[in-house]
Amino acid sequence: MLMVILAALLKFAAIVLGFVMVLATLLTLIERKQSALMQNRTGPNRAFVFGKNPLSAFVGQLIADPVKVLLKETFDPPHADTWLHRLAPGLAFIPALLMWVVIPFGPGPVPGAEGDNFFLMADLDAGVLVVFAIASLSVYGSTLGAWASRSAFSLLGGLRTAAQMVSYEVTLGLNLVGIFMIYGSLNLNDIIWAQAGYDAATGFQNAYFLGFIPKWGIITQPFAFIFFLAASIAETKRAPFDLPEAESELAAGYFTEYSSMGFAVFSLGEFIGIVVVAALGATMFLGGWHIPGLPIELTAAGQPVIASLATWLSVAAFLFKVVLLVLLQMTIRWTLPRFRYDQLMHLGWVYLLPLSLANVAITAFVLFLTR
Amino acid sequence: MPTLKIDGREVTVERGTTILDAARKVGIDIPTFCYHPGLTKPANCRMCLVDTNKAPKPTPACYAECMDDMEVSTQSPEIVKTRKAVLEFILLNHPVDCPICDQAGECVLQDHYFKYSATPSRLAHKKVHKPKVKRLGPDVVLDAERCILCTRCIRFCDEVAKETQLEIVNRGEHSEITTFPGKQLDNPYAGNTVDICPVGALTSVDFRFRTRVWMLQSSDGVCPECSRGCKTRTDVFENVPRRTKPLHNPRVNDWWMCDEGRLAYRDYQALPRMEGPAAQVEGKRRVVTNVEAIEAAALELGAVAQRQKIGVVATPWFTNEDAWLVAELLRGPLAGARIYLGGRADGTADEILRMADKNPNRAGVEAIFEAAGLKAAPLSALDTAGLEALLVFGDQHALDEAGLEKLERVPRRVVVSAFQTPLWKMATTFLPARTHFEKVGTFTNFEGMVQRLEQAVNAAASCKSYGYYAMKLAELMGHTISFVRPEDVFAEVARTVPGFAGMTWQGLAPYGMKLGEGVAPAEPPTLPQAAPPAAPTEA
Amino acid sequence: MATVTVRRRELDFWEKTYVKEVGRGLAITFRQLTKNLLTREDVATREYPEVRRKYPERFRGRHRLMRREDGTVRCVACMLCSTACPANCIHIVAGEHDDDRVEKYPVSFEIDLLVCIYCGFCEEACPCDAIRMDSGKHPLPSFTRDMQRIRKHQLLEEGGLSVAEQGGRSK
Ligand code: SF4
Ligand code: SF4
Ligand code: SF4
Ligand code: SF4
Ligand code: FES
Repeated sequence: MLMVILAALLKFAAIVLGFVMVLATLLTLIERKQSALMQNRTGPNRAFVFGKNPLSAFVGQLIADPVKVLLKETFDPPHADTWLHRLAPGLAFIPALLMWVVIPFGPGPVPGAEGDNFFLMADLDAGVLVVFAIASLSVYGSTLGAWASRSAFSLLGGLRTAAQMVSYEVTLGLNLVGIFMIYGSLNLNDIIWAQAGYDAATGFQNAYFLGFIPKWGIITQPFAFIFFLAASIAETKRAPFDLPEAESELAAGYFTEYSSMGFAVFSLGEFIGIVVVAALGATMFLGGWHIPGLPIELTAAGQPVIASLATWLSVAAFLFKVVLLVLLQMTIRWTLPRFRYDQLMHLGWVYLLPLSLANVAITAFVLFLTR
Repeated sequence: MPTLKIDGREVTVERGTTILDAARKVGIDIPTFCYHPGLTKPANCRMCLVDTNKAPKPTPACYAECMDDMEVSTQSPEIVKTRKAVLEFILLNHPVDCPICDQAGECVLQDHYFKYSATPSRLAHKKVHKPKVKRLGPDVVLDAERCILCTRCIRFCDEVAKETQLEIVNRGEHSEITTFPGKQLDNPYAGNTVDICPVGALTSVDFRFRTRVWMLQSSDGVCPECSRGCKTRTDVFENVPRRTKPLHNPRVNDWWMCDEGRLAYRDYQALPRMEGPAAQVEGKRRVVTNVEAIEAAALELGAVAQRQKIGVVATPWFTNEDAWLVAELLRGPLAGARIYLGGRADGTADEILRMADKNPNRAGVEAIFEAAGLKAAPLSALDTAGLEALLVFGDQHALDEAGLEKLERVPRRVVVSAFQTPLWKMATTFLPARTHFEKVGTFTNFEGMVQRLEQAVNAAASCKSYGYYAMKLAELMGHTISFVRPEDVFAEVARTVPGFAGMTWQGLAPYGMKLGEGVAPAEPPTLPQAAPPAAPTEA
Repeated sequence: MATVTVRRRELDFWEKTYVKEVGRGLAITFRQLTKNLLTREDVATREYPEVRRKYPERFRGRHRLMRREDGTVRCVACMLCSTACPANCIHIVAGEHDDDRVEKYPVSFEIDLLVCIYCGFCEEACPCDAIRMDSGKHPLPSFTRDMQRIRKHQLLEEGGLSVAEQGGRSK
């Protein structure tokens, strides 16, 4: 038992430190660079560490940012609830990390077969529900931080966060319902296998529509994917849904009063949130680690060399999909202007929610007819 | 009573009235240089020439008297040309270095040039050069190049200051103002020559180059330096008074003021100002807020149950409004206190303006205290024996060492003053007051002329008028009087003090009213005519 | 008041769903992104300290005070510049000059560059060609506010010789 927990912790550390944190850190800079290029600017290019070349500036910036943030004064606003104020960034940060527990990074044994998936920390049958349970927690970090700051800007930002998260979480969940129904499971691992074309009853059958289109969620549930994307951007509080931190109205919204590491943890948490949402999207809609054309049997093949090659390729494919979705989110963030608050609510409750419901109903109806 | 026509407008005037005065009466402006209403008329500048049907040549309007059937033209082409010629002549050797001339902006020559000539110089030779910085006296410097030889300054010394000190020497274009050998322009009214000099020839050493006149903001006031109370104008730049000039008030000072009063504003800048209210906190004097200091003062005074053991030193530097509010305090909560009226010691007096009493409002304070039934002894009769608390207003008291020591022996000492004086040092509670530059109010001069005082500079937020403190103290000690504007207090003064009966705040403009006069005369009696608007130096 | 009704274009179905317009927007930004990533063609940024824009000749930069032939400051402390200054940032203290002809000179001459709006009214107003803004230089960054209040000696350091006739036409 101890060994299991230890192994899980090790895996968690490896994933978090080796991939998530690295990606999130890189994102802080990539986002600035990307937005700059999109807007015909150059972005940060001055923090040279070795010679005057772009790579050196890139690396230098990555070093300079944390150093600068660390050296800043940690400031507690007067009359703030200091304890909560300091706790809040952690509350926002940890749930974002925890979600990685249920996300499979690569293929394991065929469902039902003996053995655990090496690339998955907790193979839970209620996997998606766990994701939602944890995601709902992260709203506490923002709202508590906002409330504890004792600042009007923060408080408004916090209120907006709460309202927005609650509104869009519903849509987010509903859009996955279709996926559950089609693939018949709540377990993320099983869902990926199902997208890859594995059928518990018939084995590796029926892998592609028309022989070449993978049976991914994005194909079976295209509308759900779009709604999911919208809702997930809203969940990560990024433009065009960045009302909680709308800088032109609220300074920086709920983390206005944060400086130094508090601020860094909040924004790092947000970037991790982006990656999480991307990973979830990749898992549910883009077939997770599945590579179209690569016969999935290979990952479970007898020869260890071929099997492990296929496995690691799949892992790479998953990470690639995640990065792709992250970049898509960032492109959207720098393309679309912010909604007005009433538009945001209107969009959520009047369009996305009924449409998602309709999507679920239609899916159910079609399934009823075809099965 | 000759009746004549000026530019077609008929006017009837007293015999002996000049054409200039008659024209001004019907609102026709004739330009002048040498003419000044307070001086004799030499008619030497020729700027005021007008055409009449009674003379073959243009006539100087400032000198020629009106006659019956006279027809005067101030605008004929002939006159327009004449004026241009006169200006060209005056400007012939004039340096026209207006940018560095202190008069620029209030220069009669500049104004007339732009209004009546505005043509460039045709002079083909070098201009005549004369001394540019010639010290005539302690406060007056002459730039002989800019002088237009109008002789106003000479006439002023002869006729008003009654000391013959200036004269013109040399001839023609080399004529120059100078002092008589062995003499200086040092009469006590010499500063007025700077005011009446229509150009930048005479400048005051004190004001010279300090600021440009167009940057100044002016407000009317009353000179507090003696009990004459000359009507003055305080010119302020960046909230600091830069100069004082006399304003025309035929009932008090005509057009003049003495140099003592003119330069006194500097003394108030030199004195260290006290802006921090102070009170005893745990046995030590600390700077506190205004409200706390007033409360502390009320506690100190209130601690003395027998009012006759409280001594109050009032000052003739109160405005009438201050005096009335202090009288309320002394009549009400402090009734029975020993009252002294302080003030500065007597100084030089003369027949012209200066009075021996060097305080602005003794008459007003006395009248108001009398009406309130208060008896004030002079400060020279100061007796602090048996006193337990002291309330001292003002900082300009003729107190010697012994007097101060006597005051210091009183255990509780509340001092209300504007400057850091020995009184401030000894105070147990200190309330910072405003100077007369920072107040709105009225002063009553020695013969009972009540004149208004405008606020010239903004005071620090902690500094309040004496009256304000009296009002607040009275309120804390159970006698609520509440006024916001000095006008309202003045209305109360007019209602309750006999001499002031019938006076109104508006009625005091522009020349003030005399005690007991009730209603101001519609036309001030000795006013010869309104000062011309284009020449501020005369006003 | 006349009323003008501006009719908006009706949105078609796909535009109404946002999807089409979002897609078009993404296409534009993505195009810029790839283009700038590969060629940097559209990048407008100048690498400031190394690459400098050439200023036009009439660029109004930091002020300077000109000198007479004998090297003294041309300014006669007439304060016309501080009068013209809409930002009230020129502070001059005039003093008596030893030379009667000059009469007045600036004992201190300070310009608060933090307040200055570089309108050029001061050089326009000066009757002596004493103050000019043609140094072509920026105000420099500094550590304190006070350092932005440039003094007479700093203004004179930049100043060159001017032989313009002082005070206009003189005979
Ligand atoms: S006296 Fe008048 S006209 Fe002459 S230089 Fe001075 S301002 Fe100019
Ligand atoms: S100094 Fe002034 S007042 Fe005296 S004569 Fe000359 S211009 Fe007239
Ligand atoms: S440039 Fe304009 S704002 Fe600046 S000092 Fe000159 S007049 Fe004043
Ligand atoms: S305008 Fe010219 S001469 Fe006059 S103060 Fe300014 S800089 Fe000096
Ligand atoms: S001659 Fe009449 S004003 Fe001088």
